[in-house]
Amino acid sequence: MTMTYALEAKGLSVRYGGVTANDGVSMRIAPGEIRGLIGPNGAGKSTFIDALSGRRATAAGSVHLAGRDITALGVVERRLLGLSRSFQRTSIFPGMRIGAQMELAASKIPDADADEVMRELGLDRFADRHANEIGYGDQRRLDIALALVGRPSVLLLDEPMAGLSIEESMKLARHLRELARHWGVSVLLVEHDMEVVFGISDSITVLETGKLLAEGAPAEIRAHPKVREAYLGSAA
Amino acid sequence: MSATLTAPALDGAQVKRASRLPRLLSLTSVAVAVGLAVSMLVESNTVMSLLTQAVIYAVFALGLGFLLKQNGMVSFGHALFFGLSGYLVGVGASLTGSVGTVVVLTIAGIGFFAFALALVIVRVPGIAFGMLTLAIGQSFYVLVSKSRGVTGGADGMSIEFPPRVFGLEIGAFQDPASMFLISWLALVALVLALSLLLGTRFGPLTEAIRENEERVRFIGFRTLLPRAVVFAISAMVTAVGGALSALYTGFVSPESLHWSVSGTVLIMVVLGGSRTLWGPAVGAVVYYLFRDYVGEHTTHWMGIFGVSLIAVIVLWPAGIAGGVMHAVERIKRGSGRHA
Amino acid sequence: MIGLQILNGLVYGSLLMIVASGLVLIYGLRRVVNFAHGSLFMLGAYIAYAAAQQFGFWVGLVAAVSVLAAVGFCLDRFGFRLLQDRDPLTVMLVTFGLLLVFEDVVQSVWGKQSYSLAAPESLAGTVELFGSPFPVYRLVIVAAGLAVAAALVGWLRHSRVGLFIRGASTDPVTTAMQGVNTDRLSGGVVAVGAALAGLAGVVSGPFLSLSPTMGSDILIDSFVVVVIGGLGSFAGAFVAAMILGQVQALGAVYLPDLAALLPFALMTAVLVWRPSGLSGSRT
Repeated sequence: MTMTYALEAKGLSVRYGGVTANDGVSMRIAPGEIRGLIGPNGAGKSTFIDALSGRRATAAGSVHLAGRDITALGVVERRLLGLSRSFQRTSIFPGMRIGAQMELAASKIPDADADEVMRELGLDRFADRHANEIGYGDQRRLDIALALVGRPSVLLLDEPMAGLSIEESMKLARHLRELARHWGVSVLLVEHDMEVVFGISDSITVLETGKLLAEGAPAEIRAHPKVREAYLGSAA
Repeated sequence: MSATLTAPALDGAQVKRASRLPRLLSLTSVAVAVGLAVSMLVESNTVMSLLTQAVIYAVFALGLGFLLKQNGMVSFGHALFFGLSGYLVGVGASLTGSVGTVVVLTIAGIGFFAFALALVIVRVPGIAFGMLTLAIGQSFYVLVSKSRGVTGGADGMSIEFPPRVFGLEIGAFQDPASMFLISWLALVALVLALSLLLGTRFGPLTEAIRENEERVRFIGFRTLLPRAVVFAISAMVTAVGGALSALYTGFVSPESLHWSVSGTVLIMVVLGGSRTLWGPAVGAVVYYLFRDYVGEHTTHWMGIFGVSLIAVIVLWPAGIAGGVMHAVERIKRGSGRHA
Repeated sequence: MIGLQILNGLVYGSLLMIVASGLVLIYGLRRVVNFAHGSLFMLGAYIAYAAAQQFGFWVGLVAAVSVLAAVGFCLDRFGFRLLQDRDPLTVMLVTFGLLLVFEDVVQSVWGKQSYSLAAPESLAGTVELFGSPFPVYRLVIVAAGLAVAAALVGWLRHSRVGLFIRGASTDPVTTAMQGVNTDRLSGGVVAVGAALAGLAGVVSGPFLSLSPTMGSDILIDSFVVVVIGGLGSFAGAFVAAMILGQVQALGAVYLPDLAALLPFALMTAVLVWRPSGLSGSRT
């Protein structure tokens, strides 16, 4: 009896020109799991998210969503099948009202509820404001809200806490937990804030120079000698 | 559970949508009334023909402005659709007596042509897109100037119209007073049609594509088709302007395809402001009135226009329409809260 | 016959290269597509013409280049610098407004008729090439083009300023983060760009004729060059200028009906094939 993973990458490689940014990375994420993805700068974390979400072409390997091979599919199909993402550099529609952009995001997905997602992320009071009129933290949450509309089965978050205050990060972290628990959303979280990653992840994957270095529960990773040496250093 | 929670918001959206239509219709009737009033009150034939020309170019500017507003793309080659429309109407009129059909087919044909073209060219980013449209437009300019046989080459082409077009006497199209009204009604109808279109999901979708195309794909929409449709609609509106111009003057010249025409109309668009549909049309009228006024007093029309253009762009980036909308908003906020 | 045509193509290509490299400089640093560039070219030619009437060609050349450099400096200081946070379309239309102003100035001073600027006597003769006489002056244009290309390559490769320009034209954000002060550089850079347009105008004087439309003719051709080469790329623009020169010269002989169409057809083909031009990546 094989388990169907929410998301599975098999031997994913990405090259730009001569540089191999991801080198045969494999990963399995269970439904409702929060997976932390860490590694030093340049380890290939963002590239991995780009490859999973279809933003960047892969040189080798495959991606499976709920058991279905989606390697050949484009960005749009992947999103409609339930693989969604946020962006490291906030990617929203600056000149549009927040309610309007959320409604647009909801309109392609059956039963999607823009208002509910806005309430969950505390954006409902801004519905009639333009996205470029709200604060940076709110814009970061809008980016995530756009990804969350329609309850994707897998959510890829590329440094969602970057630029948020400690309080805001904590709130977002609690919210992610809630999402995973109540809605069964699987989350792949790239994040520099180690406290957050170790605090909310069920398991953690470590990348170094494009390769998988280690994988395991937060406590194992914290104790892993190679990880300590390569990355955590004194921070652990 | 969530249905009860979202009910008020849904009602809100429905109310918004429902209040849009009567407002649009009342604005439309005001615009029609203004057109009628102008055509009855203005006696001078010179002023009337100036206004007629302005309104025809306002239709052109409406088309070009629609592209900029919904797609964020600048075309330096839109004169292609304006001029080509004139030529197609001219050639069609020499083949058949039913010019009405010719005009309709011309506009539809240009829509298809522009759509097919757009599927190829909208992938080209930013400024290069402007240069590409310039190149395509200039190619047609050269082609039309050189091909003496059909188009009359550089001398242009006189069009022989039958006595009746669209059930009206051809004279009605060539007399400034009546043609003003015809063009004005066409302009108002097009603005109304485009507003209605933008009231559907197509409006926010194309706006979102203009703002951040990549993100639109990551919320699950393909973007090529909507962008091509915007380009095609923009070309069709421009083609309506070209057809009106051909009917009015009974003449088309290759100059109407030249890139400097596209550039001038782009100036009208920016002058009027491209954030609203009607801004570019206002820009066209202001342009003609200003040119006429300055042209009467000095030969340095071009230089003065250049300086004024720079001043307006720098001081008033949202154009005339932007300024007006800003003023309206302030008045609304000042006069209390109906909302 | 064909040899001469290729040579003529080389002459026009060299001219285009000088004009286009100015456009690339300005685009590279300021992200501005300068529609006034053609009128700077024209202004250079007319200023040289006026000065040459009194003091001869060489004084005309120096006068035109210096005036245009000053114009370029002012353009940056009082134009581009103040507008750098504006949307590129706005700045582009401002340069369009300047084009109208410059054309009006030229027409009111010199009228609509065309003039010709005489080549300096020392360069006025002809040489025998491929069995027919060929004006020496045209070879000088090619030499001038080569000299400009060499000077630019040297400047861009081996000076700090050049490093910044190359950096800014490939990646303005990173360059800005490295603390490069674009404002301090760009006055000089835009001055050089405008001076190159002026230089090309003067050099073209004895080859083409001076008329109020000379600016927009060369503008369109140099846009084609810059876009085919890939916006912001010097190497791309050099190659594209040479290709376009040949296409124009050979087209005029072998496809006279379509010659005027070829540059646009070429540009359309290149952009459809590679949306970012010859030097650009395919993204």
